[in-house]
Amino acid sequence: MESDYAIEAEGLRRTYRTRTGWLRPRRETVEAVRGIDLTVRRGELFGLLGPNGAGKTTTIKMLNTLLIPTAGTARIRGFDVVEQTREVRRRIGYVFGGDRGLYDRLSALDNLRYFAELYGVPPRDQRRRIAELLELVGLTGREQERVEGYSRGMRQRLHAPEVLFLDEPSIGVDPVAARELRRTVAGLAAGGTTVVLTTHYMAEADELCDRIAVISGGEIQALGTPAELRSRADGRRVVEVEAYGVPDTAISALRGLPGVRETSVEDRGALQLLTVQSDAHVDVQGDVLRELAGIRLGRVDSREPTLEDAYVAIVGAA
Amino acid sequence: MRTLRLMGIGGALAYRALFNWTTPAMYTGTLLAGPTFQLLFFAYLGRQLQVADDRFFIVGNAVLAASTACVFGGTMAVANERRYGTLGHVLLSPRSRTVVFWGRVLPYAGNGLLIAAFTLLMGVLLLGLRIPASALPGLALALAAGSLACGFFGLTLGALGLRFRDVWVVSNVSAALLLLLTGVNVPRDGLPDWMITVGQLLPITHAAEAARLLAAGRGLDAAAPALGRELLVGAGYAVLAALLLKVFEAESRRRASLETL
Amino acid sequence: MRTLRTLLIGTVLRAKHLSRSPFEVAMALVIPLVQATLAVYLFRAGDEPHRLLEAAVGAGLMGVWASVLTGSGGAIQHQRFEGTLEIIMLTPRHPVLVILPLTAATAVTGCYALVATLLWGRLVYGIPIDLAHPLAFGAATLACIAGLGMFGLLLASTFVLLRNANALANPLDYPIWLLSGMLVPISVLPAWTAPIAAVLPTTWGARALREATVGGPVWPSIGICLALGTVCLVLGAVLLKSFERRARAAATLALA
Repeated sequence: MESDYAIEAEGLRRTYRTRTGWLRPRRETVEAVRGIDLTVRRGELFGLLGPNGAGKTTTIKMLNTLLIPTAGTARIRGFDVVEQTREVRRRIGYVFGGDRGLYDRLSALDNLRYFAELYGVPPRDQRRRIAELLELVGLTGREQERVEGYSRGMRQRLHAPEVLFLDEPSIGVDPVAARELRRTVAGLAAGGTTVVLTTHYMAEADELCDRIAVISGGEIQALGTPAELRSRADGRRVVEVEAYGVPDTAISALRGLPGVRETSVEDRGALQLLTVQSDAHVDVQGDVLRELAGIRLGRVDSREPTLEDAYVAIVGAA
Repeated sequence: MRTLRLMGIGGALAYRALFNWTTPAMYTGTLLAGPTFQLLFFAYLGRQLQVADDRFFIVGNAVLAASTACVFGGTMAVANERRYGTLGHVLLSPRSRTVVFWGRVLPYAGNGLLIAAFTLLMGVLLLGLRIPASALPGLALALAAGSLACGFFGLTLGALGLRFRDVWVVSNVSAALLLLLTGVNVPRDGLPDWMITVGQLLPITHAAEAARLLAAGRGLDAAAPALGRELLVGAGYAVLAALLLKVFEAESRRRASLETL
Repeated sequence: MRTLRTLLIGTVLRAKHLSRSPFEVAMALVIPLVQATLAVYLFRAGDEPHRLLEAAVGAGLMGVWASVLTGSGGAIQHQRFEGTLEIIMLTPRHPVLVILPLTAATAVTGCYALVATLLWGRLVYGIPIDLAHPLAFGAATLACIAGLGMFGLLLASTFVLLRNANALANPLDYPIWLLSGMLVPISVLPAWTAPIAAVLPTTWGARALREATVGGPVWPSIGICLALGTVCLVLGAVLLKSFERRARAAATLALA
C-alpha cells in the first residue's frame, strides 16, 4: 500500500502541556501546531519556513514519529506515523542542526558502525558503504579520529532513506560548509530522495526548494513555489532607511501612513534598519522621511521586493 | 549592611540559579531518600558485623547526610557558572568576590542542616533510637556546625573547578572519602593513624563526635570542644576557598582559561 | 543472529564510549576502592577478619551495581541532553535492541571496579586472591554482567518516560546493596524484606560470586540470576514499547 505521495498530513495539531511549580501547580497548554494540511510528492524538495517558535520542529517531529499528534493524521509513503512506526522509520532519515546528535567520544568510523547496525544495514554492505561515505566527505584515513566537526548528515546516508527530514541543518555552519550542504541536499533531491527542510534562511529556501510552506503561529500562512510566494509582494515597493535611535512612537506613526502595508525594524548594532513596504503606486518615501524628521539617518533606499519581503509580509499578516 | 545584603540575597539567588537539584523529584530522591538509605545500610551492616551500636551509625550518618547537598552544592556554586558561561560576568562585578562566594555557601548549609535533621528523624523513627529531649538544641548546633563546615569544604572543591576540568570527579571522590575518613562509619580506633589525622582536618569528623556525645546524654559542656574544632575546620576551609578563588582567578586571566570547558 | 550481532556491537561500542570518559573511569575505579577500604576496616573492626576476600569481591560488585544504576538512569538522561535519544529511538529496530546494549555496557565497565578492588585488596592489604572455584568465578562474573544489565534495562525503560530519571536512580544504590547482601548477607534485616531480596537478580548474582569465592554450589545461583534477569528483560521490553509510545505523546524524548 505504498502511496505515490511521500507525505500526506491532514489537520495535524499538537499541544504541549507544561506544569510549573509544585505546591500550587500552574498548568499551561501551549498550542504549537494548530491544524496543518500538506502533501509532498515523491522526490520533491519541500521547505518549511517560519520564525522561531512557529511550529516547524514540532511539525517535523510529528511526521517522523517522534511525537504523536494531538489530533489529525499523517502518513509517510502511505504508512501511518502513529501506528506503523517501524515501516515509517525504515524509510526516513532525520538530521538536525547544531552540534548535538553524535557520540563525540567515538571515532567517525565507530559512530557509523553503530548506526549502520541500528538501521539494519547488512554486515557485508556495511564496510563498503561506510568507506564510500568517508571518501565522500574526505575523511578517508582520518576515520579513527573523534567525530568533532564532521557532517552529521553522513549517518543518514548509510541507509539511503526515501524521505529525509532536515531540521535547520545550516544553523551554526560557516558559509563555505553551508554551500557544500546545499549542494549535497540538492544532489539528494535530484537522486529521487524526498526532502523536507526547515530553515529561517530565506536564500537557502529560495535556492533549494520546489515548494515552500510559510508557518507562523502553528499554521500554514502561505504555500507555493518560491516564485509564487515572491509574487505576493508584487505590486509593492520597499523603502529601506538606516536610522539611529528611532522611538516606538515614530514606528507606529509610520504604520499609520496611507499606502503603508508593512513596517519592520531590525537592530544592527547602534543602527536600526527600517523596512517599509507600501503599495507600489503610492510613493511613501517623502512621508516616511517627514515622520523621521529630527532623527539621525543613514542610507535611504527604494527597491523591488524580494522573497524576504514576501515572507515578512506573510508572517506579519498572521 | 550592603555586604550582608549581598551575602544573603545574592546567595539565595545564586542558589536558585545554580543548584541543579531543587526539583521535588530530585530533592526527595537524592537528598532525602539517599541519605536515609545510606544510614540504614550502615546501621544494618554494623548490627550484622557487631562493630558498634545503632547510635554510633545513626547519629554519625545523620551528620554526614548534610555532606551530599553541601559538597555538591558548593561545587555547583562555582563550577556551574562555567557551564552557563556566566562566570566572566560575576568576576566583572566590582564587589568583593570573597563575600559573593561566601554568601553562596549559606543556603547550601541551611539546606544541609534540614537534610541532616530529617535523616536523624528517620533513624529515630525507623530504627527506634532514643535521644533525650534535652540534647536536641545541642544536636541542632552540631548539625549546623557540620553543615556549615561542609559547605565551605564544598566551596573549596568548587574553587578547584576554576582550575581543573573534571571537578565532578573531585567532588564525587571527596564525598566518598568523607564516608571513610570522618570516622562516621568505622570506629576511629579501627583506622590507621594517618587516616585519623586526615579525618581531623575534614568537616563532619568533629561534628559527628559532638553529636554522638550529645545523643548519649552528655551535656553541651562535654561536646563543646569538638564543636569548636568543627567550626575551626569550617573557618579554615572558608579562608582556603577564598584564597584559591583569588589565585585561580588571577591565573585564569593570565592563561585565558576562564571560559574553557 | 542479526539481533545478537546488533546487541554485541552496541554493547562493545557503548563500553568504548564510556571508557573514554575520564569521569566514568575515575568513578568506576576510585569510588569502589574507597568502599573496599571501608569494608576492610569494618570487617576488621567486627569479628570477621577472615572474610576480607569476600569483602573485596562484595565491594567490587557494589561498584558494578553503582555503574549499572548511574549508567541506565544516566544513559537515557545523557542521551536526552546530547540529542541522541531521539536519533536512536528513530531507528527501525525494537527499542530493546537499542537500550539493552546501553545498560549491558555499564555492567561491563562496572567490572573495572571488581578487578580494581581485588587488586587493591591484594596489593594494599595483602588479601590473597584465593578463589574456591576460579572457573565458576568467571562464569558468575559473566552472569552478573548479564543479570545486572537486564535489570538495568527494566529500570531504564521507566527512565525513557520520566524526565527526572536520575533523581530516581541516585538513591537506589544503597537499598539494593543492602537487600541483595552484596557486601555481606544481612540476616538481621526485617523479615518482610526477604521476598523482595529473593526476586532481585542482584541477590543471586552476589550469592553466586560469594559461593565461587568461598565455596558453594555456584551454578544454581547463576541459573536463578539469569532467569530473573530474563524476566526483567521481557518485562522491560513490554514496558519499553508502551513507554516509548507514551513518551511520544508526552513529548519527553527530547528536551534537556
